Amino acid sequence: MPLLPSLYNVAFWLSRNATDAEDLVQETFLKALRGFGAFELGTNFRAWIFRILRNTYLASRTGLAARNTVGLEDELGDSSESGAALHPESAIDRQTPEMNLINLGDRAAVQAAMEKLPPPLLEVILLCDVEEMKYREIAVVLDIPIGTVMSRISRARAALREELQASIMLPREFRA
Amino acid sequence: MSDHLSPALLNSLADGELTPDQRTTVDEHLTECPFCTSSALFQSLLKSATTKAGQRYVPPSQLLERLTLRVQEEGDPSRSAPRRMNLRPAKGLAFAGWVAAFALLLVFGSIVFVQRNSNRTAIVSSRYAGLVTEACDQHVATLASNSAPQVISSDRHTVKPWFQGKIPFSFNLPENLPDDTKLEGANLTYFGNQPAALLLYSIGKHRVSVFVRQRIGAGIPDDFSREHAGFHVIGFSTDELEAVAVSDVDPNRLSNLVGIIERSQAQASQSMK
Repeated sequence: MPLLPSLYNVAFWLSRNATDAEDLVQETFLKALRGFGAFELGTNFRAWIFRILRNTYLASRTGLAARNTVGLEDELGDSSESGAALHPESAIDRQTPEMNLINLGDRAAVQAAMEKLPPPLLEVILLCDVEEMKYREIAVVLDIPIGTVMSRISRARAALREELQASIMLPREFRA
Repeated sequence: MSDHLSPALLNSLADGELTPDQRTTVDEHLTECPFCTSSALFQSLLKSATTKAGQRYVPPSQLLERLTLRVQEEGDPSRSAPRRMNLRPAKGLAFAGWVAAFALLLVFGSIVFVQRNSNRTAIVSSRYAGLVTEACDQHVATLASNSAPQVISSDRHTVKPWFQGKIPFSFNLPENLPDDTKLEGANLTYFGNQPAALLLYSIGKHRVSVFVRQRIGAGIPDDFSREHAGFHVIGFSTDELEAVAVSDVDPNRLSNLVGIIERSQAQASQSMK
Protein backbone atom coordinates (compact mmCIF):
# COMPACT_ATOMS: atom_id res chain seq x y z
CA MET A 1 0.00 0.00 0.00
CA PRO A 2 1.74 3.18 -1.15
CA LEU A 3 2.21 5.90 1.46
CA LEU A 4 1.80 3.35 4.24
CA PRO A 5 5.55 3.41 5.13
CA SER A 6 5.58 7.23 5.13
CA LEU A 7 2.40 7.55 7.18
CA TYR A 8 3.56 4.92 9.66
CA ASN A 9 6.99 6.52 10.06
CA VAL A 10 5.51 9.96 10.80
CA ALA A 11 2.83 8.42 13.04
CA PHE A 12 5.48 6.59 15.07
CA TRP A 13 7.59 9.73 15.46
CA LEU A 14 4.58 11.68 16.68
CA SER A 15 3.01 9.08 18.93
CA ARG A 16 6.31 7.57 20.11
CA ASN A 17 5.05 4.00 20.23
CA ALA A 18 4.19 1.24 17.79
CA THR A 19 0.66 0.49 18.98
CA ASP A 20 -0.47 4.10 18.80
CA ALA A 21 1.24 4.49 15.42
CA GLU A 22 -0.62 1.49 14.00
CA ASP A 23 -3.94 2.76 15.35
CA LEU A 24 -3.23 6.19 13.97
CA VAL A 25 -2.46 4.87 10.49
CA GLN A 26 -5.49 2.61 10.49
CA GLU A 27 -7.75 5.44 11.58
CA THR A 28 -6.23 7.68 8.92
CA PHE A 29 -6.93 5.23 6.11
CA LEU A 30 -10.48 4.62 7.30
CA LYS A 31 -11.16 8.34 7.54
CA ALA A 32 -9.64 8.82 4.09
CA LEU A 33 -11.96 6.16 2.69
CA ARG A 34 -15.02 7.55 4.42
CA GLY A 35 -14.19 11.08 3.38
CA PHE A 36 -12.88 10.31 -0.08
CA GLY A 37 -15.83 12.12 -1.61
CA ALA A 38 -14.53 15.32 -0.04
CA PHE A 39 -11.18 15.01 -1.78
CA GLU A 40 -11.01 17.36 -4.72
CA LEU A 41 -9.52 15.75 -7.79
CA GLY A 42 -6.53 17.70 -9.01
CA THR A 43 -5.50 18.81 -5.53
CA ASN A 44 -2.63 17.35 -3.55
CA PHE A 45 -3.54 13.84 -2.41
CA ARG A 46 -0.46 13.37 -0.23
CA ALA A 47 -1.05 16.64 1.63
CA TRP A 48 -4.70 15.65 2.06
CA ILE A 49 -4.00 12.27 3.63
CA PHE A 50 -1.18 13.63 5.83
CA ARG A 51 -3.57 16.29 7.03
CA ILE A 52 -6.00 13.55 8.04
CA LEU A 53 -3.17 11.78 9.86
CA ARG A 54 -2.17 14.94 11.65
CA ASN A 55 -5.73 15.82 12.66
CA THR A 56 -6.26 12.27 13.88
CA TYR A 57 -3.06 12.54 15.91
CA LEU A 58 -4.14 15.87 17.43
CA ALA A 59 -7.41 14.30 18.51
CA SER A 60 -5.62 11.32 20.07
CA ARG A 61 -4.54 11.04 23.68
CA THR A 62 -0.86 11.77 22.92
CA GLY A 63 -1.80 14.53 20.50
CA LEU A 64 -4.02 16.24 23.03
CA ALA A 65 -1.27 16.04 25.63
CA ALA A 66 1.20 17.58 23.19
CA ARG A 67 -1.24 20.33 22.26
CA ASN A 68 -1.81 21.20 25.88
CA THR A 69 1.86 21.47 26.72
CA VAL A 70 3.13 23.44 23.73
CA GLY A 71 1.82 26.69 22.35
CA LEU A 72 4.69 27.91 20.24
CA GLU A 73 2.99 30.71 18.40
CA ASP A 74 1.43 32.12 21.55
CA GLU A 75 4.63 31.71 23.47
CA LEU A 76 6.95 33.21 20.89
CA GLY A 77 4.74 35.64 19.02
CA ASP A 78 5.54 33.59 15.96
CA SER A 79 2.69 34.32 13.58
CA SER A 80 4.17 36.64 11.01
CA GLU A 81 4.01 35.86 7.32
CA SER A 82 7.67 36.74 7.08
CA GLY A 83 9.89 34.11 8.60
CA ALA A 84 12.99 36.21 7.97
CA ALA A 85 12.08 38.97 10.36
CA LEU A 86 11.62 36.66 13.29
CA HIS A 87 15.10 35.41 13.84
CA PRO A 88 18.08 37.25 15.21
CA GLU A 89 21.52 36.74 13.75
CA SER A 90 22.37 34.59 16.71
CA ALA A 91 20.01 31.94 15.40
CA ILE A 92 22.54 31.09 12.71
CA ASP A 93 25.70 29.16 13.27
CA ARG A 94 28.55 31.49 12.38
CA GLN A 95 31.22 29.14 13.60
CA THR A 96 33.27 26.77 11.59
CA PRO A 97 31.11 23.71 10.95
CA GLU A 98 33.71 21.04 11.72
CA MET A 99 32.39 20.49 15.23
CA ASN A 100 28.90 20.00 13.89
CA LEU A 101 29.96 17.65 11.15
CA ILE A 102 31.17 15.11 13.65
CA ASN A 103 27.71 14.53 15.02
CA LEU A 104 25.76 14.92 11.80
CA GLY A 105 27.13 11.55 10.74
CA ASP A 106 25.95 9.99 13.98
CA ARG A 107 22.45 8.85 13.10
CA ALA A 108 21.60 7.98 16.70
CA ALA A 109 22.64 11.45 17.88
CA VAL A 110 20.49 13.12 15.22
CA GLN A 111 17.54 10.91 16.12
CA ALA A 112 18.01 11.71 19.80
CA ALA A 113 18.06 15.43 18.97
CA MET A 114 14.90 15.05 16.90
CA GLU A 115 13.17 13.24 19.77
CA LYS A 116 13.76 16.28 21.94
CA LEU A 117 11.98 18.64 19.56
CA PRO A 118 8.53 19.79 20.70
CA PRO A 119 5.79 18.24 18.51
CA PRO A 120 5.10 21.36 16.36
CA LEU A 121 8.78 21.55 15.43
CA LEU A 122 9.19 17.81 14.99
CA GLU A 123 6.23 17.53 12.62
CA VAL A 124 7.46 20.36 10.42
CA ILE A 125 10.91 18.77 10.17
CA LEU A 126 9.40 15.37 9.37
CA LEU A 127 7.24 16.83 6.61
CA CYS A 128 10.01 19.03 5.20
CA ASP A 129 13.07 16.81 5.45
CA VAL A 130 11.77 13.26 5.62
CA GLU A 131 8.66 13.57 3.44
CA GLU A 132 10.35 16.21 1.27
CA MET A 133 7.22 18.33 1.08
CA LYS A 134 7.32 21.86 -0.25
CA TYR A 135 6.47 24.69 2.15
CA ARG A 136 3.14 25.14 0.39
CA GLU A 137 2.20 21.48 1.02
CA ILE A 138 3.29 21.68 4.65
CA ALA A 139 1.15 24.76 5.13
CA VAL A 140 -1.85 22.75 3.86
CA VAL A 141 -1.11 19.76 6.11
CA LEU A 142 -0.58 21.84 9.23
CA ASP A 143 -3.19 24.45 8.33
CA ILE A 144 -0.83 27.35 9.03
CA PRO A 145 0.56 30.21 6.89
CA ILE A 146 3.74 29.59 4.88
CA GLY A 147 5.53 32.22 6.97
CA THR A 148 4.84 30.16 10.06
CA VAL A 149 6.11 27.04 8.29
CA MET A 150 9.36 28.88 7.55
CA SER A 151 9.76 30.18 11.07
CA ARG A 152 9.10 26.75 12.57
CA ILE A 153 11.67 25.18 10.27
CA SER A 154 14.22 27.80 11.30
CA ARG A 155 13.43 27.23 14.94
CA ALA A 156 13.53 23.45 14.59
CA ARG A 157 16.92 23.47 12.90
CA ALA A 158 18.34 25.91 15.43
CA ALA A 159 17.14 23.58 18.19
CA LEU A 160 18.62 20.54 16.46
CA ARG A 161 21.94 22.31 16.05
CA GLU A 162 22.07 23.30 19.70
CA GLU A 163 21.19 19.79 20.80
CA LEU A 164 23.82 18.24 18.54
CA GLN A 165 26.46 20.66 19.75
CA ALA A 166 25.53 19.88 23.35
CA SER A 167 25.74 16.16 22.67
CA ILE A 168 29.32 16.54 21.43
CA MET A 169 30.27 17.75 24.86
CA LEU A 170 28.80 14.65 26.50
CA PRO A 171 30.01 11.10 26.01
CA ARG A 172 27.33 8.84 24.50
CA GLU A 173 26.61 7.03 27.79
CA PHE A 174 25.65 10.31 29.45
CA ARG A 175 23.29 11.47 26.72
CA ALA A 176 19.62 11.57 27.55
CA MET B 1 23.08 42.38 0.29
CA SER B 2 25.69 43.62 2.71
CA ASP B 3 24.53 41.79 5.84
CA HIS B 4 24.56 38.07 6.39
CA LEU B 5 21.80 35.91 4.96
CA SER B 6 18.79 35.43 7.23
CA PRO B 7 17.96 31.97 8.63
CA ALA B 8 14.83 31.95 6.49
CA LEU B 9 16.90 32.43 3.33
CA LEU B 10 19.44 29.81 4.39
CA ASN B 11 16.66 27.33 5.11
CA SER B 12 14.89 28.14 1.87
CA LEU B 13 18.17 27.57 0.07
CA ALA B 14 18.60 24.15 1.71
CA ASP B 15 14.96 23.29 0.99
CA GLY B 16 15.05 24.45 -2.64
CA GLU B 17 12.38 27.07 -1.96
CA LEU B 18 14.11 30.22 -3.20
CA THR B 19 12.62 32.15 -6.08
CA PRO B 20 14.95 32.64 -9.08
CA ASP B 21 15.63 36.25 -8.00
CA GLN B 22 16.36 35.22 -4.43
CA ARG B 23 18.59 32.44 -5.71
CA THR B 24 20.64 34.89 -7.78
CA THR B 25 21.05 37.26 -4.83
CA VAL B 26 21.96 34.45 -2.46
CA ASP B 27 24.48 32.95 -4.90
CA GLU B 28 26.15 36.33 -5.29
CA HIS B 29 26.35 36.77 -1.55
CA LEU B 30 27.76 33.27 -0.99
CA THR B 31 30.63 33.88 -3.38
CA GLU B 32 31.79 36.72 -1.13
CA CYS B 33 30.85 35.59 2.37
CA PRO B 34 32.60 32.59 3.93
CA PHE B 35 30.42 32.81 7.06
CA CYS B 36 27.20 32.40 5.12
CA THR B 37 28.77 29.73 2.90
CA SER B 38 29.66 27.82 6.04
CA SER B 39 26.14 28.30 7.42
CA ALA B 40 24.55 27.26 4.13
CA LEU B 41 26.70 24.15 4.03
CA PHE B 42 25.73 23.30 7.58
CA GLN B 43 22.01 23.80 6.93
CA SER B 44 22.26 21.57 3.91
CA LEU B 45 24.14 18.87 5.84
CA LEU B 46 21.71 19.10 8.72
CA LYS B 47 18.80 18.63 6.34
CA SER B 48 20.51 15.62 4.82
CA ALA B 49 21.19 14.18 8.29
CA THR B 50 17.59 14.62 9.46
CA THR B 51 16.32 13.13 6.20
CA LYS B 52 18.30 9.97 6.89
CA ALA B 53 17.69 9.89 10.63
CA GLY B 54 13.98 10.56 10.21
CA GLN B 55 13.41 7.46 8.09
CA ARG B 56 13.39 5.33 11.17
CA TYR B 57 10.23 3.25 11.59
CA VAL B 58 9.02 0.52 9.25
CA PRO B 59 5.42 -0.67 9.41
CA PRO B 60 5.06 -4.24 10.70
CA SER B 61 4.07 -6.74 8.03
CA GLN B 62 0.74 -7.56 9.70
CA LEU B 63 -0.38 -3.92 9.59
CA LEU B 64 -1.24 -4.13 5.89
CA GLU B 65 -3.31 -7.28 6.54
CA ARG B 66 -5.12 -5.56 9.41
CA LEU B 67 -5.81 -2.52 7.27
CA THR B 68 -7.16 -4.61 4.41
CA LEU B 69 -9.41 -6.49 6.82
CA ARG B 70 -10.71 -3.27 8.36
CA VAL B 71 -11.42 -1.81 4.93
CA GLN B 72 -13.37 -4.93 4.02
CA GLU B 73 -15.29 -4.69 7.29
CA GLU B 74 -16.08 -1.06 6.57
CA GLY B 75 -17.33 -2.01 3.15
CA ASP B 76 -19.35 -5.03 4.30
CA PRO B 77 -22.51 -3.98 6.16
CA SER B 78 -23.10 -7.50 7.49
CA ARG B 79 -19.97 -7.11 9.65
CA SER B 80 -20.77 -3.59 10.72
CA ALA B 81 -23.07 -2.01 13.23
CA PRO B 82 -26.76 -3.06 13.32
CA ARG B 83 -27.86 0.36 12.07
CA ARG B 84 -26.76 -0.67 8.62
CA MET B 85 -28.85 -3.79 8.49
CA ASN B 86 -31.77 -2.00 6.90
CA LEU B 87 -29.50 -1.15 3.99
CA ARG B 88 -29.26 -4.80 2.99
CA PRO B 89 -30.78 -4.29 -0.49
CA ALA B 90 -27.91 -1.90 -1.27
CA LYS B 91 -25.19 -4.16 0.22
CA GLY B 92 -23.62 -5.01 -3.14
CA LEU B 93 -23.56 -1.40 -4.23
CA ALA B 94 -22.13 -0.20 -0.95
CA PHE B 95 -19.36 -2.76 -1.06
CA ALA B 96 -18.62 -1.89 -4.67
CA GLY B 97 -18.45 1.76 -3.62
CA TRP B 98 -15.91 1.03 -0.91
CA VAL B 99 -13.86 -1.09 -3.28
CA ALA B 100 -13.92 1.71 -5.85
CA ALA B 101 -12.89 4.29 -3.24
CA PHE B 102 -10.09 2.03 -2.02
CA ALA B 103 -8.92 1.47 -5.59
CA LEU B 104 -8.90 5.22 -6.21
CA LEU B 105 -6.96 5.71 -2.98
CA LEU B 106 -4.41 3.16 -4.18
CA VAL B 107 -4.13 4.80 -7.61
CA PHE B 108 -3.48 8.23 -6.12
CA GLY B 109 -1.12 6.74 -3.59
CA SER B 110 0.74 4.87 -6.33
CA ILE B 111 1.24 8.05 -8.33
CA VAL B 112 2.67 9.80 -5.28
CA PHE B 113 4.81 6.76 -4.49
CA VAL B 114 6.28 6.64 -8.00
CA GLN B 115 7.03 10.37 -7.90
CA ARG B 116 8.76 10.04 -4.54
CA ASN B 117 10.76 7.04 -5.73
CA SER B 118 12.03 8.95 -8.72
CA ASN B 119 13.01 11.79 -6.38
CA ARG B 120 14.88 9.34 -4.13
CA THR B 121 16.69 7.88 -7.15
CA ALA B 122 17.77 11.37 -8.12
CA ILE B 123 19.00 11.99 -4.58
CA VAL B 124 21.02 8.75 -4.58
CA SER B 125 22.50 9.63 -7.98
CA SER B 126 23.48 13.08 -6.77
CA ARG B 127 25.05 11.54 -3.66
CA TYR B 128 27.29 9.33 -5.84
CA ALA B 129 28.08 12.27 -8.11
CA GLY B 130 29.09 14.27 -5.04
CA LEU B 131 31.34 11.47 -3.78
CA VAL B 132 33.04 11.12 -7.16
CA THR B 133 33.67 14.86 -7.40
CA GLU B 134 34.99 15.07 -3.86
CA ALA B 135 37.23 12.02 -4.33
CA CYS B 136 38.75 13.52 -7.48
CA ASP B 137 39.15 16.96 -5.88
CA GLN B 138 40.91 15.54 -2.85
CA HIS B 139 43.07 13.30 -5.04
CA VAL B 140 44.19 16.27 -7.13
CA ALA B 141 44.75 18.39 -4.01
CA THR B 142 46.90 15.64 -2.48
CA LEU B 143 48.99 15.35 -5.64
CA ALA B 144 49.32 19.12 -5.92
CA SER B 145 50.37 19.66 -2.31
CA ASN B 146 53.51 17.61 -2.90
CA SER B 147 53.81 17.12 0.84
CA ALA B 148 54.66 13.83 2.50
CA PRO B 149 51.81 11.68 3.82
CA GLN B 150 50.94 12.18 7.48
CA VAL B 151 52.08 8.62 8.07
CA ILE B 152 54.73 7.20 5.80
CA SER B 153 54.46 3.52 5.18
CA SER B 154 57.33 1.23 5.91
CA ASP B 155 54.83 -1.62 5.77
CA ARG B 156 51.13 -2.13 6.48
CA HIS B 157 51.87 -2.45 10.18
CA THR B 158 52.93 1.20 10.29
CA VAL B 159 49.86 2.66 8.64
CA LYS B 160 46.99 0.78 10.27
CA PRO B 161 48.03 1.39 13.91
CA TRP B 162 48.54 5.09 13.16
CA PHE B 163 44.78 5.48 12.76
CA GLN B 164 44.00 4.08 16.21
CA GLY B 165 42.08 6.70 18.15
CA LYS B 166 41.91 8.99 15.12
CA ILE B 167 38.95 7.43 13.34
CA PRO B 168 35.91 5.67 14.84
CA PHE B 169 36.45 2.41 12.93
CA SER B 170 39.19 0.03 11.89
CA PHE B 171 40.05 -1.50 8.55
CA ASN B 172 42.43 -4.04 7.16
CA LEU B 173 45.28 -3.55 4.72
CA PRO B 174 46.27 -6.27 2.28
CA GLU B 175 49.58 -8.03 2.86
CA ASN B 176 50.37 -8.94 -0.71
CA LEU B 177 50.21 -6.35 -3.45
CA PRO B 178 51.08 -6.67 -7.14
CA ASP B 179 54.77 -6.13 -7.98
CA ASP B 180 54.66 -2.49 -9.00
CA THR B 181 52.02 -1.49 -6.42
CA LYS B 182 53.07 0.08 -3.15
CA LEU B 183 51.38 1.63 -0.13
CA GLU B 184 53.14 5.00 0.20
CA GLY B 185 51.37 6.20 3.31
CA ALA B 186 48.12 7.63 4.53
CA ASN B 187 46.35 10.76 5.69
CA LEU B 188 43.50 11.42 8.03
CA THR B 189 40.79 13.25 6.12
CA TYR B 190 37.09 13.99 5.90
CA PHE B 191 35.25 12.40 3.01
CA GLY B 192 31.57 13.14 2.49
CA ASN B 193 31.59 14.85 5.89
CA GLN B 194 32.78 11.66 7.56
CA PRO B 195 36.16 10.99 9.13
CA ALA B 196 38.04 8.81 6.69
CA ALA B 197 41.37 7.13 6.10
CA LEU B 198 42.99 8.29 2.88
CA LEU B 199 45.35 5.51 1.75
CA LEU B 200 47.96 6.60 -0.74
CA TYR B 201 49.13 3.91 -3.13
CA SER B 202 51.31 4.02 -6.19
CA ILE B 203 50.95 1.74 -9.18
CA GLY B 204 54.10 2.27 -11.21
CA LYS B 205 54.31 6.04 -11.52
CA HIS B 206 50.60 6.54 -11.07
CA ARG B 207 49.20 7.64 -7.73
CA VAL B 208 46.04 6.15 -6.25
CA SER B 209 43.92 7.62 -3.45
CA VAL B 210 41.68 5.23 -1.56
CA PHE B 211 39.15 6.75 0.85
CA VAL B 212 37.91 4.37 3.54
CA ARG B 213 35.13 5.36 5.91
CA GLN B 214 32.21 3.92 7.82
CA ARG B 215 29.37 2.72 5.66
CA ILE B 216 26.33 5.01 5.37
CA GLY B 217 22.92 3.56 4.57
CA ALA B 218 22.88 1.21 1.62
CA GLY B 219 26.55 1.88 0.95
CA ILE B 220 28.23 1.94 -2.43
CA PRO B 221 26.97 -0.62 -4.96
CA ASP B 222 29.29 -3.51 -5.89
CA ASP B 223 29.73 -2.45 -9.51
CA PHE B 224 30.36 1.21 -8.68
CA SER B 225 32.59 2.66 -11.38
CA ARG B 226 32.68 6.19 -12.76
CA GLU B 227 34.81 8.41 -14.95
CA HIS B 228 35.37 12.00 -13.87
CA ALA B 229 37.73 14.60 -15.32
CA GLY B 230 39.94 11.87 -16.77
CA PHE B 231 40.12 9.90 -13.51
CA HIS B 232 38.72 6.45 -12.89
CA VAL B 233 36.71 6.09 -9.70
CA ILE B 234 35.85 2.68 -8.28
CA GLY B 235 34.16 1.87 -5.01
CA PHE B 236 32.91 -0.96 -2.84
CA SER B 237 31.10 -1.55 0.44
CA THR B 238 31.36 -4.16 3.14
CA ASP B 239 28.96 -4.60 6.05
CA GLU B 240 30.75 -1.88 8.01
CA LEU B 241 32.88 0.11 5.60
CA GLU B 242 32.76 1.76 2.24
CA ALA B 243 35.70 2.75 0.07
CA VAL B 244 36.26 4.87 -3.00
CA ALA B 245 39.47 4.70 -5.05
CA VAL B 246 40.52 7.28 -7.62
CA SER B 247 43.43 7.34 -10.06
CA ASP B 248 44.41 7.93 -13.65
CA VAL B 249 46.00 4.49 -13.86
CA ASP B 250 44.62 1.84 -16.19
CA PRO B 251 41.12 0.97 -14.88
CA ASN B 252 41.87 -2.78 -14.82
CA ARG B 253 44.89 -2.25 -12.57
CA LEU B 254 42.91 0.10 -10.33
CA SER B 255 40.11 -2.43 -10.18
CA ASN B 256 42.63 -5.15 -9.29
CA LEU B 257 43.98 -3.09 -6.36
CA VAL B 258 40.47 -2.25 -5.15
CA GLY B 259 39.54 -5.92 -5.32
CA ILE B 260 42.57 -6.86 -3.20
CA ILE B 261 41.66 -4.21 -0.59
CA GLU B 262 38.03 -5.37 -0.56
CA ARG B 263 39.00 -9.01 -0.09
CA SER B 264 41.29 -8.07 2.79
CA GLN B 265 38.30 -6.51 4.59
CA ALA B 266 36.32 -9.72 4.10
CA GLN B 267 39.23 -11.78 5.42
CA ALA B 268 39.48 -9.52 8.45
CA SER B 269 35.78 -9.88 9.27
CA GLN B 270 35.95 -13.67 8.79
CA SER B 271 38.91 -13.96 11.12
CA MET B 272 36.98 -11.98 13.76
CA LYS B 273 33.95 -14.37 13.62
